[in-house]
Amino acid sequence: MTRLQLFGLAVAAAFFACTSVHAEGDKVAGQKLVYTCAGCHGVPGYTNAYPQYPVPKIVGQNEQYLINALHGYKSGERKHPTMDAQATSLSDVDIQNIAAFLSSFAK
Amino acid sequence: MKHVATLISFGAALAFASTTLLANGSIENGKQKATTCFACHGVDGNSVDPQYPRLAGQYNKYLQVVLHEYKDGQRSNPIMKGMASTLSAQDIEDIATYFSSLPTKLDTLKGHLQGDK
Repeated sequence: MTRLQLFGLAVAAAFFACTSVHAEGDKVAGQKLVYTCAGCHGVPGYTNAYPQYPVPKIVGQNEQYLINALHGYKSGERKHPTMDAQATSLSDVDIQNIAAFLSSFAK
Repeated sequence: MKHVATLISFGAALAFASTTLLANGSIENGKQKATTCFACHGVDGNSVDPQYPRLAGQYNKYLQVVLHEYKDGQRSNPIMKGMASTLSAQDIEDIATYFSSLPTKLDTLKGHLQGDK
């Protein structure tokens, strides 16, 4: 019985370990999500139509900043017509994965 | 009298021309004015703490827009609001010009997608 309990604990621990690894963001999953972003963020020097300024470089940007930025757009705290629309379609996990992928280039 | 008017309009034209020249940011002045930024954004513009964005090599105009957004409250961040509120339009141009001139770790998505060369 004790063995069975120990085994159960080990399984639970392993499961927990897996989910916390996932919580760090999955680069490979992130790479699949950024195709949409490339329409603007993949064109060097590309400028927003309105208001007019260059779309920022996001590859190599810091991970937590990217997470905060996307959550800001999603919650409406940070405003930009295109980015608000994009971010509302993303889940929290999507946002983590995108940030993991983009930030991986500077490390 | 007509001469005076011509002279004044010449003067006005010159003054206007020189302000547009001044409107270009200066890397040197920007470096001086950016000392406060270094604590979070790094001396080289590459923040170590991942919650702060890297500024080195970001588009000059984008950095200016963002600083103006913090200044006028359009974009809200308690730390940046305090920082940007003390900056003049010229300060913003200088600081943005300085950070955008630094060696960068940033890039666009071009070449980073699966199947891209």
